[in-house]
Amino acid sequence: MGDPPAGGSGPGVIEISIDVPLAPFALRVEARLPGAITAVMGPSGSGKTTLLESLAGLRPRARGRVAVGGDVLLDTAAGVSWRPEARRIGYVPQDAGLFPHLTALGNVRFGARGDASRVEAAIDTLEIRGLLGRYPASLSGGEKQRVALARALATSPRLLLLDEPLAALDVGLRERILPWLVRVRDEWRLPCLYVTHNVGEALALAARLLLLRDGRVEAEGAPGDLLASPALAREAETGIENLLPGRVVSHDAEGGVTRVRADAGFEMTVGLVPDRAAGTAVTLAVRAEDVLVAVEAVRGLSARNVYPARIAALERTGVDVTLRAVLEGSGAALLARVTPAAVRALGLEAGKGVWLAVKSHSVRLV
Amino acid sequence: MLTAEEIRTVLFTLQVAGLATLVILPFGVAAALLLARYQGPGKGALETLLSLPLVLPPTAVGIVLLHVLARRGPVGAWLDARGIEVVFTGKAVLLATAIMSFPLLVRSARTAFEEVDPRLVGIARTLGCGPAAAFFRVTLPLAWRGVLAGAVLAFSRALGEFGATVMVAGNIPGKTRTLALAIFHENQVGRDDRALALAGVTVALAFAALWTTEWVTRRRAGRGRA
Repeated sequence: MGDPPAGGSGPGVIEISIDVPLAPFALRVEARLPGAITAVMGPSGSGKTTLLESLAGLRPRARGRVAVGGDVLLDTAAGVSWRPEARRIGYVPQDAGLFPHLTALGNVRFGARGDASRVEAAIDTLEIRGLLGRYPASLSGGEKQRVALARALATSPRLLLLDEPLAALDVGLRERILPWLVRVRDEWRLPCLYVTHNVGEALALAARLLLLRDGRVEAEGAPGDLLASPALAREAETGIENLLPGRVVSHDAEGGVTRVRADAGFEMTVGLVPDRAAGTAVTLAVRAEDVLVAVEAVRGLSARNVYPARIAALERTGVDVTLRAVLEGSGAALLARVTPAAVRALGLEAGKGVWLAVKSHSVRLV
Repeated sequence: MLTAEEIRTVLFTLQVAGLATLVILPFGVAAALLLARYQGPGKGALETLLSLPLVLPPTAVGIVLLHVLARRGPVGAWLDARGIEVVFTGKAVLLATAIMSFPLLVRSARTAFEEVDPRLVGIARTLGCGPAAAFFRVTLPLAWRGVLAGAVLAFSRALGEFGATVMVAGNIPGKTRTLALAIFHENQVGRDDRALALAGVTVALAFAALWTTEWVTRRRAGRGRA
């Protein structure tokens, strides 16, 4: 399965090149997306919602360029910045964002400017005719999402922005709402950015995947290709930075630990997981903030996993600094997150030899 | 019961309080919205300034107004040159009550506006509303109870305004004498029975205003609102 074509300015192609200064870090996204559904994934706080709000025109501080289907909505260099009400972008936030003082019908009609046929079509697509007289307070989570989706569709948007429409719903309900989304995709054929934490949804709906981390694009491509990498798939879902495939070596029930050998060629001791037999394939998951960095050989430390390594790169990510260190011997890389103060105090820089320490209980097997 | 003159005083008081409330409504709503949404520098100072009439002695406000509006005062001279007289007229009563009631409207309306999720306003914008349309279609319908409560509080405060009014408008029967001033006057001339009768009227008026608000807001709140 190849990359969907996104060249030229074909129907609904979304060109994004924006910079949004915000505390605590800046969002910087460059992407060229096809006129279909793009799944936007990444850990919490990676800037997904900020990206959607910027596209909708709700972030006045956004700089750069945004074009949808050839219409330039934002081009700060050229002094172009369409007001949100002129952009015709349908935005459905995570909690549906229905107006509590209006009935479902009042909500759906809100932005339709009297275009009754669009309202009717939206009502039919989402099958909400039976809900129209009710107020949002009396609707279930799934019903709210359908009404909000209909409200966005009824405005004839040029682009649809859906912020985790299924996140607030339980698993059973998710499966019942998903067909509506497939239907919107197939019947309305709108360019769409779809924020989700769910790999299954991304694969089912999206033609393209945009993975964000700390306000930057970490990966972009066909969902099938990107999510075929277990590490990326898990990162997209869990937001854990260090994901290392390996195999269980042995258990030490008395010591309360399990030894795992990473495929990259080093061993890690983790909290006892007796249900995984020796030889079982597992993935070691360690958050970057759980990796300690020392500039001298450490002794007498409770952390069981200490590795000599060399810093390959440092990058400012949000308020912190993420450093990539290559373990001596194996050549495997680990990401560690430290404060800028620690970088200064320890004189951390590329090429410097360090020791990385990971507590057994900071390691999860996923 | 009430004499014809007392009834005129009651009507004059109602008229002034109602007019003062109407006059401050647009400004108070604008100020409340500003305080609810604006987050930049100077917010604290603005907040304090708008609340000052709540804590100042009304007579202090009155004496300042008197000197600003007097024929030789900075604003009074300008008005006098155009043949407009304010001090010791009904206009002065209106001005004094409006200024003293303003903070009550702003406080209540501001709390109501702060409770409106700004994201709903953003969504209204994406649905084609300009800022004014978003205010009238989303913010105000969600906050009207607080605005109404603030307006009633302001009206009730205006009914009872005494200190600032007496300084800048005097206590002229048939011209600037409101209920509050009439009560004081009757007491001063030794007719406490009349003062008490008028006090009863103020209690009834304030009670009616507050109770109506309570009733209206509670009744409408039952309707499908989260």
